[in-house]
Amino acid sequence: MTTYILRRIIQTLVLLVVLSYLCFNLMTLMPGDPVELMISSNPKITAEDVARLREFYGLDQPTYVRYQRWVSTILEGDLGFSRTYRIPVSEMLGPSLKYTFILSMSSLFLSLLIAIPLGIYCALRPNSKFDYIVNLLSFAGISAPSFWLGIVLIIIFSVKLGWLPAGGYQTTGMVYENIFSEILDKAKYLILPVLSLSIQSIGRFSRFARSAMLEVMRNDYIRTARAKGLTERVVIWRHGFRNALIPLITIVTLSLSSVFSGALITETFFAYPGAGRLIYTSIIGNDFNVAMVAFIISIAMVLVMSLIADLLYGVADPRISYE
Amino acid sequence: METNNTLSQTKIAELETAQSFYKMVYNQFKENKAALFGLFTIIFFVIIAVGAPVIEWALGVDANTQNVFNRYKPPFSQVQASQDVRDQMVQTFYLKSPELAKDIETELLAKNLVTPIRPEDAMYDWVNLSPEKAIEAIKQINTPAKDDLIKSVKNFSSYHIFGTDELGRDVLMRLVYGTQVSMGVGVLVAIVSAFIGLLVGALAGYYGGVIDTILMRTTDALLSLPLLPVLVVIAAIDLQKVPFLSAITQYGNESIIKLVFILCLFSWMVVARLVRGSILSLREREFILAAKTLGATDATIILRHMFPNVIAPLLVSVTLGVGESILFEAALSFLGLGIQPPTPSWGNMLFNALELIYKAPFLAIIPGVLILLVVVSFNFLGDGLQDAIDPKSVRR
Amino acid sequence: MKKLAFVLVAAAILNTACTKKDSTGTSASAGATSSTNSKLSNAELKIGISQEFENFNPLISTMMATTYMSRMSIRTLDSINADGKWIPVLAKEIPTFENKKAVIKKIGGKDHVVAVWEILDNAMWGDGTPLTCADFEFASKVAASPNVSVADKETYSQVEKIEADPKNPKKCTFTYDKVRWDFYMLGTFFPLPKHLEEPIFKKYGSIKEGYEKNSLYTKDPTNPGLYHGAYLVSEIQLGDHVTFTPNPKFYGEAAKIKKIIVKLIPNTGTLEANLRSGTIDLISTMGLALDQALAFDKKIKEEKLGYEVLFQPSTVYEHIDLNLDNPFLKDVKVRKALLYAINKDDLVNALFEGKQLPALHLVTPKDAWYTDDPAKITIYKYNKREADRLLDEAGWKMGADGYRMKDGKKLSFTIMTTAGNKTRELVQVYLQNQWKQVGIEVSAKNEPARVFFGETTKKRKFDSMALFAWVSSPESSPKVTLHSSKIPSAKNGYSGQNQMGWVNKNVDDLTTKLEAELDPAKRIKMVHEILKYYTDEVPVLPLYYRSDVAVIPTQMKNYRLTGHQFPETNEVEKWTLE
Repeated sequence: MTTYILRRIIQTLVLLVVLSYLCFNLMTLMPGDPVELMISSNPKITAEDVARLREFYGLDQPTYVRYQRWVSTILEGDLGFSRTYRIPVSEMLGPSLKYTFILSMSSLFLSLLIAIPLGIYCALRPNSKFDYIVNLLSFAGISAPSFWLGIVLIIIFSVKLGWLPAGGYQTTGMVYENIFSEILDKAKYLILPVLSLSIQSIGRFSRFARSAMLEVMRNDYIRTARAKGLTERVVIWRHGFRNALIPLITIVTLSLSSVFSGALITETFFAYPGAGRLIYTSIIGNDFNVAMVAFIISIAMVLVMSLIADLLYGVADPRISYE
Repeated sequence: METNNTLSQTKIAELETAQSFYKMVYNQFKENKAALFGLFTIIFFVIIAVGAPVIEWALGVDANTQNVFNRYKPPFSQVQASQDVRDQMVQTFYLKSPELAKDIETELLAKNLVTPIRPEDAMYDWVNLSPEKAIEAIKQINTPAKDDLIKSVKNFSSYHIFGTDELGRDVLMRLVYGTQVSMGVGVLVAIVSAFIGLLVGALAGYYGGVIDTILMRTTDALLSLPLLPVLVVIAAIDLQKVPFLSAITQYGNESIIKLVFILCLFSWMVVARLVRGSILSLREREFILAAKTLGATDATIILRHMFPNVIAPLLVSVTLGVGESILFEAALSFLGLGIQPPTPSWGNMLFNALELIYKAPFLAIIPGVLILLVVVSFNFLGDGLQDAIDPKSVRR
Repeated sequence: MKKLAFVLVAAAILNTACTKKDSTGTSASAGATSSTNSKLSNAELKIGISQEFENFNPLISTMMATTYMSRMSIRTLDSINADGKWIPVLAKEIPTFENKKAVIKKIGGKDHVVAVWEILDNAMWGDGTPLTCADFEFASKVAASPNVSVADKETYSQVEKIEADPKNPKKCTFTYDKVRWDFYMLGTFFPLPKHLEEPIFKKYGSIKEGYEKNSLYTKDPTNPGLYHGAYLVSEIQLGDHVTFTPNPKFYGEAAKIKKIIVKLIPNTGTLEANLRSGTIDLISTMGLALDQALAFDKKIKEEKLGYEVLFQPSTVYEHIDLNLDNPFLKDVKVRKALLYAINKDDLVNALFEGKQLPALHLVTPKDAWYTDDPAKITIYKYNKREADRLLDEAGWKMGADGYRMKDGKKLSFTIMTTAGNKTRELVQVYLQNQWKQVGIEVSAKNEPARVFFGETTKKRKFDSMALFAWVSSPESSPKVTLHSSKIPSAKNGYSGQNQMGWVNKNVDDLTTKLEAELDPAKRIKMVHEILKYYTDEVPVLPLYYRSDVAVIPTQMKNYRLTGHQFPETNEVEKWTLE
């Protein structure tokens, strides 16, 4: 087990390096490097200016040299500078990662809290009326495009009813008397984005929970457990749910891996200053340092979560062994 | 009494003869009302997609005719054609039958029905009269083309069941043609990605070791690769310049090929991981061990013993995949990677309508509802198939 | 089911919003908005903006949204007002040859313009330090440093030397690099606070990007000493909002609004919702798309909301660059036919409801150089039959499929533009349809803006047509877009903007001579000559001049859109809500 974990960690690190190099290349392959963007925005630029700026940004160097430089500064603990915002990347990314984390974690918790019991309940009463209704609602949730959902929520709750703010993360320029008023104010701004994110994932999670549970509950050992006279609760949770965990683990860890990448569309619609939007603007604006750090974070999250998922498989199903 | 007895005897016989697999599946499936609903809805949309030209002909409205002075008309509107369309009609008439046109021209002028600045504009002026007046005028003229012309003038007035869009095009016909793209892309991508995912997941899960490492790390890599820069880079690639691709892209369908390629590339990973997870656990089951001891080949074990067991999560993700692909396509057109204008798809129609959701809500609502309907139908169908195929779920 | 219910609810709600049938619904919503409006006062104004912004260092910032905001706090010697006239801002007056404040001097065997700029006596930085010539000289020095990435270096490098009068530190003598008539156009020549920034520049100026990383605009952006305009920046959160408060040391009339918050709402579709729910009070020019503005304008009138939509013709010129290397486009008849075949009046009236003007050529109507005189330029009025005639003449015969053919080849083009720009995509499809009617097949191929501008137009990789816009200022030299040496190629580092590949000897001469011509009347004549060639040879298909749109509360006064690169915030101190 330990060797397996160790091996996986080494693999993960190697993959991280490979992928970061790949991303670095992708960023350079993208048409419109900083100088090209300047050329297109400034008609007066001359050929000499172009050469000067290329050298200035080190764009005259081959990619691998630039990658080496970048890695060495990262290893020194310097995340670099945001070219567009002119502030250190850490100052730029820190807050937006925090906001995104709050948003995606609240949504994930909310969806799991609702979806898993719902899915299990349906699986225990397949093809009942309740099952049908939940099914339909889940599909509706899944197939509602997030941009569509966002704007509908805003129209209903902000414009028509006026209950909730349409966008932002706090009342701008507000001075908080105490921590509670601050939490209250910020929570008000969180409701709509969390709702719009959750409606989709509730549908997805409950579908997976239902189908996994349905699959398990047909097994002979469930019948045996019931025949033994175990209480229904023990049958469902100890024997049933535990075995239904495998697909659920996959889905949940996949969702967890994106808690820092943010939800671009939701954040844009609700003017929420999260990482998704920052990453998008940094890629579009060729803000190399911000984009690369964001890539590393999101890649690392996926890789780590994939490792955790594999380890959890073993916990959920002791027959799965890693040798 | 006797009749009853024979009946039950045939029933017994029926029960005793082994049913074929497909028959069992069929019998199970047709019991499931929701699945049948799903199937019929999908068939309905497939018919619409295939029969789009027929619908166009039947309704007498086509998807590309613009009418810019009648934009954003609400559903159930009667609309008059634009000057372009009218002029075009006259011009084709001149091209087709120049002598007839000349005659009509002179007669129109002689009877003083129109007063154009230049005599050769007579027919153009006539066609731009109000429909009643134009028909009135042509009735007074003696020409073999009279009926045709009256019919054309009547056609200038069109009825739009779902209203018109931002260029005054018929929303219904655009939705009909959008069905082709959206259903086609959605189904194709879902199937291809499920296939790739199944293959990769099964190989990785069954063999483990190096194969597992390589395949799953590739999956992780693709899953973690930031989508946006990849898309922008792909957008910059000119498919015509890639040698082996130039052959397939020469018919002007470059954007669709690009789209399907991108969608497939980025949607098989979740399936792969799901399948692998299940296979990992199946691998250690007794029945697989039994099959192995009996000397079954790997292929037999995977195909006959494992696949039926992973079909449940697979069908769920395939059916979910259809809806996701339809929406993903919409988001891609925002980056210029989707379907290029003016070809409609439900996704880009929905996306385009969003900015003006206040002004023309129906433009956003109708494609939204269609997407919902199709996605729900696919899911019901998937559910029904899963129940029908799965031997464990047979309930008598 | 839930979604279906949602849809129905949404449909019901939207319908009440769109029609006036449900009187209770409408009056309720109107009541709600008018009450938010009556809440508006000079205490606070919240402006919505849809584009990202950066820090305010005027030498380094490049984003439009930053320019928009920074003009509240940072000004220049002169600028263009809402009427399109150059007016002094920080300067007492604009030096000209007539008022003898500008002269041509021979220095080192070469002619130079030397001009005297005198800064307003009471102009000072927010911490009370007077604003002097030294601040301009310092800015010029920073801009010249190879370690600072100034995008628009030319503005600063055109002034070779800045000297202060020994007796009056506010009287500056600017020596320009050569004789140029546009020497007084210093609207983007910003002063930097020497008393704050010089120590930083001395310390870090020798390190690459050292100055911009350590500048107070980055490290301490709310320091009042960095600003001299009507407002000081009191809070800045990148990616979200900026708060401005009046500058007590401002040289001009005192600002009336006590607090201005500029808030980033990145999605234009939700700007209106934010406005109506009171998150913002005003939508800036960097907000609504024209189609949205038109729809909102109608709704305001129907529902009597307390807002006004402003439309202001701007200097943005939407056009299609033709790639003159395309074999079909080499024929001027085909180019002319393309132009005759498009009904620009209908386009403008139908799609823009007349709020944007059809374009004749690259000079915009607000410009002193503009002309629509048919005696001076060639004007193409929509004429389908003329287009047909020209194409027939050029040998393109109508085929059975409705498209024209010549030598077995179909008359077919590709029109490319930025993906995701809805107005352009709309225009693109409209044009496709019009050209189809004269037998020209045009297919669309759109790309993300980055690819389109970074690769396709820059390297002239578009096969035949590229639809995009030029943002120019009044009386700007057309040399960069028309001179044959400005055809982008690997040789000149793709730095020119003559993406058509247009070569015309006379135009080359005229554009070069124009830059040194001191007589305004002669300049106009030369420009008209250039426009004659431009409209005769049709290297570009002009489409329309864009308009700026903004939504303001009805009680707001003195808010004037400018329609050019110097935004309305140059006059922010005049704005009032009471």
